[in-house]
Amino acid sequence: MRVVAEEASKVTIRLERKHPLAIRWMHWINFPVLFIMILSGIRLYWNTTDNAHLHPHAVYRIGFGSHTLLQIFPEPVWQWLNIPWHVTQGLGDHFFFMWIFTANGIAYVLYTAISGEWRFIVPRRQSLKDAVLVILATLHVRKGLPAQNKYNGAQRIAYTTVTAMGAGSVFSGLAIMKPTQLHYLTTILGGYEWARWEHFWLTMSFCLFFLVHVLQVAFAGWNNFRSMVSGREIRPITAPSLEAERKSW
Amino acid sequence: MSAHPDPPEAEAAFKSDAEVLAASRKYTRRSFAVAALAAVAGWEFCRKVFYSSAIGDQPWPRRRILQADAKLSRAIFDERALAPTYPVSKSVMLRTNGHVGIKEELVPESWRLQLVGVASAQRYKQYVSDVTAWNYDYAGPITDAGELIREERKEARAGKLPRGLEEAGRSLSTLPQGTPGLLLTLDDILKLPKHELVTEFKCIEGWSEIVHWGGVRMADFLDAYPPQPKPDGSLPRYVYMETPNGDYYVGYDLHVCRHPQTLLVTEMAGRPLLQVHGAPLRLHAPTKYGYKQIKRIGLIAYTDIKPDDYWTKLGYDWYAGL
Repeated sequence: MRVVAEEASKVTIRLERKHPLAIRWMHWINFPVLFIMILSGIRLYWNTTDNAHLHPHAVYRIGFGSHTLLQIFPEPVWQWLNIPWHVTQGLGDHFFFMWIFTANGIAYVLYTAISGEWRFIVPRRQSLKDAVLVILATLHVRKGLPAQNKYNGAQRIAYTTVTAMGAGSVFSGLAIMKPTQLHYLTTILGGYEWARWEHFWLTMSFCLFFLVHVLQVAFAGWNNFRSMVSGREIRPITAPSLEAERKSW
Repeated sequence: MSAHPDPPEAEAAFKSDAEVLAASRKYTRRSFAVAALAAVAGWEFCRKVFYSSAIGDQPWPRRRILQADAKLSRAIFDERALAPTYPVSKSVMLRTNGHVGIKEELVPESWRLQLVGVASAQRYKQYVSDVTAWNYDYAGPITDAGELIREERKEARAGKLPRGLEEAGRSLSTLPQGTPGLLLTLDDILKLPKHELVTEFKCIEGWSEIVHWGGVRMADFLDAYPPQPKPDGSLPRYVYMETPNGDYYVGYDLHVCRHPQTLLVTEMAGRPLLQVHGAPLRLHAPTKYGYKQIKRIGLIAYTDIKPDDYWTKLGYDWYAGL
């Protein structure tokens, strides 16, 4: 009995304060809002592909010159997602939820900048090299992960890039929305059609990010996922403390 | 609200792994309960946005936001900016799109522009006591590949009109019989200074084309035929236009019509306007989407009541400002 009690009293783990409350709220608000922005955006994009033969357009395809490898999207995909003929719902939702998406994004950037959390997120000099090692380890090409604190190099690059993509979506969206009043912005982005191209492919990139992100979270397991809700992660007592690092700022 | 409600010291005092796990469970229960509540609240919010009762085929929260967006645009931009212009060599023949109100070939000689709300209208020689009595003559339907495809589609969908192709019905702003005003001929309009403009035409469907327009400035037209001021001396706020048969109708802010690039168009690509593009007179406004650039104008009315608008009834934005 005494031995068991001693074993039990030996502390090998602790609760790491991983994600601040504000970041958790902003993360989970962004998830459905971005989803609605993408779905409503695709409902708008569909309208251009309607009667596509009347105006062969460069925005919605993968190809070179007059050779198109893939129309975006093929008809079965439109049907599967129930996209056709929902243009006005798309417009209404897009111009509604854009405010929440933008406000949430600005709040996130301000919060990370002021709180100092950006130090966990913005890539450092060795992040690119670390990212390569992380990818090799993920693909089981190479064993062992480089040292990290909150995020590894691949995460730092991914999370910073996706934040910049959000800003890119807001600016290219403004350029599309007000191409006359904000024609300087539209011109900087290469004109109206390029702004639409950029806005569309940023959206496709969000979808790719989402796919990889969800897969990685699934592989990382419950402890990691839960920390984006409860804020706390169970870690070995020997692991470097994020809280100590926060205090050092 | 602090980032973490409990001080780290409280957690540092754990005496065993079991205590750590118990604490974690407490936080997990609490935070997931909050998350569940937030998810329900979020879904209720979205349901309100998606499924509330509609104003002009748009659930009211979305309609209100469209109106708020327009208000903000007016406050910030006020249609001050000029749209970029392009060399004529970059222009193309505008694609035909949308046939509401111009499905029949109009006999050009029978065209007159009804103009209502002009200051001291009686002093003009074109004054008539009832502009609505004017008869337009038609010479059979306009046939066009795009229109035929749409008709086939409608049939393929077994009579269920796809969204965006429904008819919005009659205008609420159409003139009552006996409305006095002017009946202008094309020559009257062509007396105004001619302007050419090469701008990018943008359709809300997503496509855009650079077009070479020719015509007269709406601002010059407003100077030649100024609106009747209200008793307090201010001008009416809106302009209403419709096709000769009244099937297509659009409302504008008066000051948008004063924008120097708002044209009453009589020529496209250096040639007289075609009927499918709205001959003899259509509107071009690079501050607005294409659905606001009405083809074949039969009536222009200055009014202080916000005019009815074809596509606004079908869920689109009245303002449509670019």
